[in-house]
Amino acid sequence: MDWLKEQFKKEEWSPYAAGAMLGVVGVLAVLLSDSLLGASGAFENLAGTIGQTIAPQLFDNLYFNYVMPPGLTWSGILLVGVFFGGMIGAWSSRTWKLRLNSDEQWKQVFGPSWPKRWLLAFLGAIVLEIGAGIAGGCTSGLAISGGMLLAPAAFIFIGAMFASGIATAWLVYGRRY
Amino acid sequence: MTNTLIALVLGLFFGLSLQKAGLTKYHKIVNVFRFTDFAVLKFMMTTLIVSMAGLYTLKWMGLITFPGVPATYIAGNVIGGLIFGVGMAFTGY
Repeated sequence: MDWLKEQFKKEEWSPYAAGAMLGVVGVLAVLLSDSLLGASGAFENLAGTIGQTIAPQLFDNLYFNYVMPPGLTWSGILLVGVFFGGMIGAWSSRTWKLRLNSDEQWKQVFGPSWPKRWLLAFLGAIVLEIGAGIAGGCTSGLAISGGMLLAPAAFIFIGAMFASGIATAWLVYGRRY
Repeated sequence: MTNTLIALVLGLFFGLSLQKAGLTKYHKIVNVFRFTDFAVLKFMMTTLIVSMAGLYTLKWMGLITFPGVPATYIAGNVIGGLIFGVGMAFTGY
């Protein structure tokens, strides 16, 4: 028990240990709820809800009516848990703190400005979400949840994601790559 | 109601595992693309192996049926993946 507490307080676990834990969570999701873990889809469902309230005609299309129906979905609730789970993780290691821009490596590459970090994060996240929408999932919803069912789509996606991720990092980092 | 609670609790552990693996940090995500830190890959592959083993065992025991397997449409998966990777390397999410 003490050992467990000790582990819980550690700031960083071995990625193998944390990964194994998520693996168990993935199995439980199917066993208990017949659902797959996902992160990007819930945002589209919520966007659909907002969109159909503000501009019903614009959002009255095949995608938002059938592919990603509006509403607070199972994975939307999951995301609420993810938010607080991450908070518990940071809090347990006493590293919980409000930060505007905390990553040293980011500052070295892009400079110390936090609004720049927020703007790039916002724009990058739009790109990310569009990509996930086209592919049919993100790192969790497609790569991991699809991969664990041995869906070919997951492995195609992982390959493409790493190819362009490597290319982008190479362009961003230039000589420092 | 029960389903909501399950989602919430599983989400807590989902978030905890990401945070404890350090995957909430920009440099962890981007460095896997620079081949200087393989935490993302180690994490993802461990998750895949554990969940694959678990799910296929449960299926073999007849306890579960697989939910809708994500559809394969090569062009979509490739193009989506390519766009996704750009966003991922830029934001570190």
